[in-house]
Amino acid sequence: MKGILVKDLYIARSNILVTVVSLIVLGFGLSFLLETSALLVLAPAASTTAVFISITGDAASKWNKNVITMPVSRNQIIGEKFLFYILLAVLGTVTALVPCAVLACFGADVTLYALCLYGSIGISATLLAGGISLPCAYLSDPEKSQIVFMMSFMASTGIITGLVLFINLFLPVKENILPAFHIVLAISVICFLVSYRIAVRVYRKRDIS
Amino acid sequence: MTNALAVSGLTKTYQDFILDHVSFTVPNGSIVGLIGENGAGKSTTLNAILGLIQKEDGIVSILGSQELSRDTKEYIGVVFDGSNYPEILSPRKLNRVMKNIYKSWDEQVYFRLLKEFSLPPDKQIRQFSKGMKMKLAISVAFSHHSRMLILDEATSGLDPVVRDDILDMLLHFVQEEDHSILMSSHITSDLEKIADFIVFIHEGKVIFEKSKEELSGQYGIIKCGAAQFDALDKSDIITYRKIDCEWQILVSNRERMQKKYPEALVVPATLDEIMLLYVKGEK
Repeated sequence: MKGILVKDLYIARSNILVTVVSLIVLGFGLSFLLETSALLVLAPAASTTAVFISITGDAASKWNKNVITMPVSRNQIIGEKFLFYILLAVLGTVTALVPCAVLACFGADVTLYALCLYGSIGISATLLAGGISLPCAYLSDPEKSQIVFMMSFMASTGIITGLVLFINLFLPVKENILPAFHIVLAISVICFLVSYRIAVRVYRKRDIS
Repeated sequence: MTNALAVSGLTKTYQDFILDHVSFTVPNGSIVGLIGENGAGKSTTLNAILGLIQKEDGIVSILGSQELSRDTKEYIGVVFDGSNYPEILSPRKLNRVMKNIYKSWDEQVYFRLLKEFSLPPDKQIRQFSKGMKMKLAISVAFSHHSRMLILDEATSGLDPVVRDDILDMLLHFVQEEDHSILMSSHITSDLEKIADFIVFIHEGKVIFEKSKEELSGQYGIIKCGAAQFDALDKSDIITYRKIDCEWQILVSNRERMQKKYPEALVVPATLDEIMLLYVKGEK
């Protein structure tokens, strides 16, 4: 799996660099308008676009066919993309924390509560979007994976809204915002893992030609 | 002679095509050419052997194993037509990728082959010509101590000089007795140069599996007119075709036919002619 991860890092390197710089610039820029920690909502999802660039690139160069003939299992091929997605989401989150930390050092009002809340929302949205788009990108047309990702990110915001409304039925969300979003985060993690299992199962039987 | 690859009853059904109980072998130390017109089932057969598509029926035994495990794949080198690797990479970066994929990856062999092929290690693959991309794919296939090479139309679209270089490499590869090659191509002249056995697939079925010596040494074409054709014993005819006023009849024993029909013109048959007569001829 390490080899295909190295390949994806090479492909996504310039994209990752642009995303990291953009997030840091955006973080400092946002501080004049609103809470810098709000960047955590956007950062994980924004940084994962490189995965879909690599999926599109794999299909265009027929790497997805060639790699199956190498000593790599289909489970590993799918697992690597999910792992790569998580790594990029973590990188995006850590990058967004940089301006927060710098500004906090200069006396800006960055609270742990806000970091946890926005972080939960951002990671939940990213995991739900990945849980929808990664299997779709692999199991339908990989060349349209970037469009699928954008649509799934929109869908994930709708799912989060639905989940919050559902949680509100037995836990008043207004008084328990952070616990409510932690529940949403836990559900998103489960959805992502289930999505991985489904993708592996379907891809194992899929004809690649 | 043991087989590096044995395919038995390989079957795959698509909406408009059936790969129908394909069986053949690739003996150790030999080059087997898979021929057939476009859409005959050559790539489907190779894809099924390589586990790219799920077979419905049949047994594929490769390098002594019926399971295409990671250990088995370690020793199979595959070259497809066209681009095989992400074009943003350079050969040097590809080396870093491959050494983390293949346990048996040999950097020294890889860089020696790059040098032999005059491939720049730091240039992006996207800037390579088709011939250079093919040479790169072959360098990769040779750099992990492969014992079996599977090539799908690997020489198509290449100029004769590059093709000749590649054919020489393939011949050199099978000098080791446990090395074998299965090569699909519709450039039959390439196979006439290097193949030991020919497997002919037509409409998803294996029409014949024969040694090249048998095909080039025994097969022949009787060229004659209508009267001579009518006088022929029909059991001698494999297939025939009428072109303008000339009848072309494919026969499996050239010398015997020449003796049996001394007035007929019996000429050796090339692979192209054999293929054409099987595909377009009548029985």
